[in-house]
Amino acid sequence: MEFLNPIALYGLFTLPLLLIPYLLRRKPRRYVFSSLLIFSAMGADPTVRPWGRLRLPLIFFLQLLLLALMIIALGEPVFTASPSRVAIVMDNSASMQALEDGKSRFVLARERAADIFAELGSGAVLDLYLTAPRLERFGGVSFSPSEAARALHGLTPVDLGEAPLDYNNALSQLAREQKYDRVYLITDRPARGHSGAARVVTVGRPRANFAITSFAVHHGSLADARLNASAEIANFSSSDARLKIILRGNGAPIATRELAIAAGAYASAVFEGLPLHAFFEAEIDSRDALDLDNRSFAVASTTKMLRILGISPRPQELNSLRAITGVELDIVAPADYEKSDRSRYGLEIFHFAAPAVLPRNPALFILPPNQSELVDLRERATNPSVSGWREGHPLTRYVNFALFRPRYARPLKPQLPGENIVLSAEGSLVFATMKHGLRYLVLGFDPFPFLGQENLPMSIFTVNMIDWFFAFSGARGKATGEPIPVSAAQSGDQIITPAGERFSLRPGATAFPATRYQGIYQLMRQSEKSLIAVNLRDVNESDLRRPAPIELGGESDARSSESTLMPFWPYFLLAALLLLMLEWFIKPRMARSGRRFELRRRHAV
Amino acid sequence: MLPQPFTPQFLSQLETLRLRTRKEFLGGHSGSYGSPRRGTSLEFADYRRYAPGDDLRYLDWGIYARSDRLYIKLFREEVDLFAYVFIDASASMAFPSVREKFLPASHIGAALSYVVLANHDHVKIHLLGEPSASISSPFYRGRRRMVDCVQFTAATTPAGRMDMAASLAHHLQKLRRPGKAILISDFLIPAASYQQGLNLLRAFNLDIAVIQVLTRLEVEPPFASGGVNLIDSETNAEINLQWDDRARQNYQAKLAQHNSEIRSFCHQSGIHYSLYVTDRDFSGFIFATLPAIGLFK
Repeated sequence: MEFLNPIALYGLFTLPLLLIPYLLRRKPRRYVFSSLLIFSAMGADPTVRPWGRLRLPLIFFLQLLLLALMIIALGEPVFTASPSRVAIVMDNSASMQALEDGKSRFVLARERAADIFAELGSGAVLDLYLTAPRLERFGGVSFSPSEAARALHGLTPVDLGEAPLDYNNALSQLAREQKYDRVYLITDRPARGHSGAARVVTVGRPRANFAITSFAVHHGSLADARLNASAEIANFSSSDARLKIILRGNGAPIATRELAIAAGAYASAVFEGLPLHAFFEAEIDSRDALDLDNRSFAVASTTKMLRILGISPRPQELNSLRAITGVELDIVAPADYEKSDRSRYGLEIFHFAAPAVLPRNPALFILPPNQSELVDLRERATNPSVSGWREGHPLTRYVNFALFRPRYARPLKPQLPGENIVLSAEGSLVFATMKHGLRYLVLGFDPFPFLGQENLPMSIFTVNMIDWFFAFSGARGKATGEPIPVSAAQSGDQIITPAGERFSLRPGATAFPATRYQGIYQLMRQSEKSLIAVNLRDVNESDLRRPAPIELGGESDARSSESTLMPFWPYFLLAALLLLMLEWFIKPRMARSGRRFELRRRHAV
Repeated sequence: MLPQPFTPQFLSQLETLRLRTRKEFLGGHSGSYGSPRRGTSLEFADYRRYAPGDDLRYLDWGIYARSDRLYIKLFREEVDLFAYVFIDASASMAFPSVREKFLPASHIGAALSYVVLANHDHVKIHLLGEPSASISSPFYRGRRRMVDCVQFTAATTPAGRMDMAASLAHHLQKLRRPGKAILISDFLIPAASYQQGLNLLRAFNLDIAVIQVLTRLEVEPPFASGGVNLIDSETNAEINLQWDDRARQNYQAKLAQHNSEIRSFCHQSGIHYSLYVTDRDFSGFIFATLPAIGLFK
């Protein structure tokens, strides 16, 4: 027998609470009596047994049984026959590398799987599935329990985030289509609800963790050859922390920095004036649950150009940007934005437009439509004058704000935490924020067209903006699982993974997809070698505090589970109802006899 | 004005009664109670040999004619009675209320006092309590002093603890004449205490009557079933017990045994004893129960 909703059984711990009303009712009533002489002669002890001997009426036991039956019925007990066709789905995402008392979650998951194998009969047929990079069968063959245990032993988790998947549907579908009697998902996420054929086995507990969520090395500006590095560190814990960040170039330490990070907050560290190295590595000196996200890799950008994707209904005004040296501009209409390949660009400029979700590139929003995710726009202001600005900020350098006069503006009402860089009396005109390691800037006025010396304050501000974005648009590297683009691979081209494995690229291949592990990948083309940094960039994997629960439920897999599950909780419910009726029958009789007794006594008195 | 139940009709019924004494006392004045002295009543007592100087009117000429000897007839002396009414005024007499227990007890005392007063005898009321609070009235005589009797008891509020033996001893120190003693109490005290007290009265050559007064609540405690925390009205001692039908029966058996012990002791000691439960008919108790135990002639 097992329970489909075992959490309900915790309700059994509340059963003793039923005693409370009886104990309260039994609280001794105080009476003043003429003399206790006769009571003393009865043998009553004057000091002990203040509550007397606990004598519980029959109705109490009926109520206890009634409650117990209802709680057990809520637990949905079922008789189970031993399943013969079983699927084991192993979560092999990056968070499974987190340590739990010296063992990784994946090792714990293997142990749980071994327990399941031990419970199954030797004739059971097992299929193994992995969740990353996508839910797919492992090995392509079925296993006996002993073979499955051996196969599992050779598996390790990858540095990938978990694919966004509705596990309830996916597991039910798997059970239905592949005719599995039972599907076990062994993961580090908790489960809510229950399902007929699917079972979720959770390993690990919520943990505090620190993570480098973004690391990039870039040129200081379009005109500056020196390198700067910036790293963003997240504190996924409930207490403030001081962390030391070590920056390495080609594996050798070149700089360190200490950061104070509030609980649940992000902090950034910037390293300026770095010498050129083939690759850089940032590491936080912390012994936390997940070691993987304590390191991040970057390769310095060699390009001196900023590639901009403009999205505007007025392309001619944006076109003026081409006048700035080092700017390469492509413009698309807002309707074509979703269709365009945006991976090549270092900046996206939304000119009187806004995407449905924030772009995965740094972005500049110029007078976005109202109700965007970043800001709301206030009422329009004609010829607004600047009332304040952030001194020393790269965006305000060399700008004479006395002469800075946008013709038209709509002050901004920020919806996210960030910085107001330029302010007017009516509100913010320039708002900067950072999310997931990307810079976003919103302007409440239109700085275009770029007029050069004809409007010097606005032109300097525009160049500052381009410089500011360029400084951040260095080779950000790739996220694990993201393919490395290769333009027309030729015979002999190879990719060397961080583990030293060599993969030959097929001639004509345009991408190398197997970026499952974090580190520096080497693309070897003829005599040319280029480095690509690949990092885990999934905060869901790093934030181990409260993983999202897997919601199970629905009857979609009921058919597949019919053969193994025989629910009998309705019988418990029926028994509870019968007891309730019995109680109804008994209680009024007891009350009546009690009232009769009371009346008799009063009459006698 | 006398309170209920002392209506004119009730008082006239009381006037028909006379206290009966089983002892003879030396009275102060002539009355209607026997005395060990020889006197001038109509009741013949004895003969004695004539001596010169005896009143010739009392010579029994019949004996002289038969035996040729001179004998003088002796008659009983009849004297007045001194009655002492002792009423328990401890805190237990105020349970559950003064009206329900102490007042009926004091009414019994007043009724018996009126019987004495109506016969032109003397009555004195003593309130038993803590030695410092023990008080007594002056001697009353004559029907008109009935109001004083009632007012004396009505002015009292039962309170404090009572050691019966000590309290009686305190009152007996001031007693000069033997007579009839009527002790009214709930007797919810240890046997040793009341026995010692009654023995003191006996030692003082008093003719004793005991009236035990209990309320219905004391006979059948009305506690609801379950745990009960009881507090003694006099000592504030506490006791916990489980009250149920069995406990109720046990209590009533113990109370009956306690009352039986009192009755038995009184019987052995030549003391009139009667139990009055205050919810019973008061007139019935005075005019039926008390005559039945021989308290009245």
